[in-house]
Amino acid sequence: MMQDNKINSYQFIVLVILFTIGTAILTVPSVLAVGTKQDAWITAIVGTGIGLLVIWLYTTIAFWFPNLTYIQINEKLFGKWIGKTVSIIFVFMSFLWTSSLLFQSGTFLNIHMMPNTPMIVLNILMAGIVVMGVRLGLETIARSAEILIIVFFIQFIVLVIFVAPEIKFENIQPLFEVGTKKIVQSSIFFVGTSVFNAVILLMIFPAFINKVKQAKKSFLIGNLIGGIVIIMIVFLCVSVLGADRTARSIYPSYELAKKINVGDFVQRIEALMASLWIISLFFKTALYFYASVLGIAQILNLKDFRPLTIPLGMITVVLSVIIHPNVIEQIQWDGTTGLSFSIFVGLFPPLLLLVVYAIRKKQLKKEA
Amino acid sequence: MLKSIGILLFAAIIVWIEVPPLLKKGYKKELIVFSILLAIGVGLGIALGFGKNIPNPLDLLTFVFKPINDFINFLTT
Repeated sequence: MMQDNKINSYQFIVLVILFTIGTAILTVPSVLAVGTKQDAWITAIVGTGIGLLVIWLYTTIAFWFPNLTYIQINEKLFGKWIGKTVSIIFVFMSFLWTSSLLFQSGTFLNIHMMPNTPMIVLNILMAGIVVMGVRLGLETIARSAEILIIVFFIQFIVLVIFVAPEIKFENIQPLFEVGTKKIVQSSIFFVGTSVFNAVILLMIFPAFINKVKQAKKSFLIGNLIGGIVIIMIVFLCVSVLGADRTARSIYPSYELAKKINVGDFVQRIEALMASLWIISLFFKTALYFYASVLGIAQILNLKDFRPLTIPLGMITVVLSVIIHPNVIEQIQWDGTTGLSFSIFVGLFPPLLLLVVYAIRKKQLKKEA
Repeated sequence: MLKSIGILLFAAIIVWIEVPPLLKKGYKKELIVFSILLAIGVGLGIALGFGKNIPNPLDLLTFVFKPINDFINFLTT
């Protein structure tokens, strides 16, 4: 029932790219610029490097049991009760992040596009399409991602080309002013937002992929491409706006789009560029929501997860309104507790799995 | 008042769409989980509609993760 839809490795790359870019494209530049000023783009490179190591860990875990999702792996290795506890924390995280992302898309639209519309309406609209996508299944999400990634990259290239003349190299000088230690420390935030959360992709990888052997590479390649996009955005932000302005604005990449000016004629096309963020936000939210719904269904051994989508969607919308009182609190929370929570869920259980697998390897082989 | 009626109507529509196929296939467990989640959703929605304070799950997390936060702060400064 649940295994009926499978995606191919190209579709998986696309999903990983959009997941990695997700919210990072909006919020990461300013956070990195606060920590490491004009060297923020170097921090992003370091972060992507660390991220690839973490992804490699995830793929290793996933390949022990090519037909099971993360929750089933947990249950198999940790036993019934501990496994379920770990899974419940995991589902709780992905569910919280769904509402947090809804909050972020809601505030983004509310601040920049529709200031007079109540935020809950925008959240309901976003949640509506997310629920619809998840009900239709992973294959539908993957296929729409395949189409929208083209739109995404065309817009991204347009943004890069049109903004490129504004680059001032004085803005990124002097290089390495903050020192290596600080750069590595700040990159933790980058890894926290876009890589440790990728543990939820273990819900679709490799259980729902039809050619598993090629898929290992696609996880790494997708993460690398996503990382490169973010590095470019951070570099453009710092070199065009300057480290100071990047650090002060909430959505620096949106400020970047406002800078576009081609021959005093093509100006203020940031509203078009906003679809870039909406696309990546939508897919990240949809994947989180898919992971939480499928997770709950598998923890409780249900045969079908579709009936749960609409009630959970309702809860998510309510949570998204109460979860953060304002944007400042959200950014502050993301940098402290949110980061610790991501690391706690995304790093420790996989490392524990590694240890437990090493101990129980022989026993598991006998059973199989 | 109007908001809660709207939420109840919405819930009724969901039940009308979702429940018959579940009954037909005889998925008992799914039906139970669905009803519990729907009840939570409707309850939270109505509470929000009346402007009641809903406890924020993030406060609990902040409380639990405070030592780890302090540790990370200690490492990064």
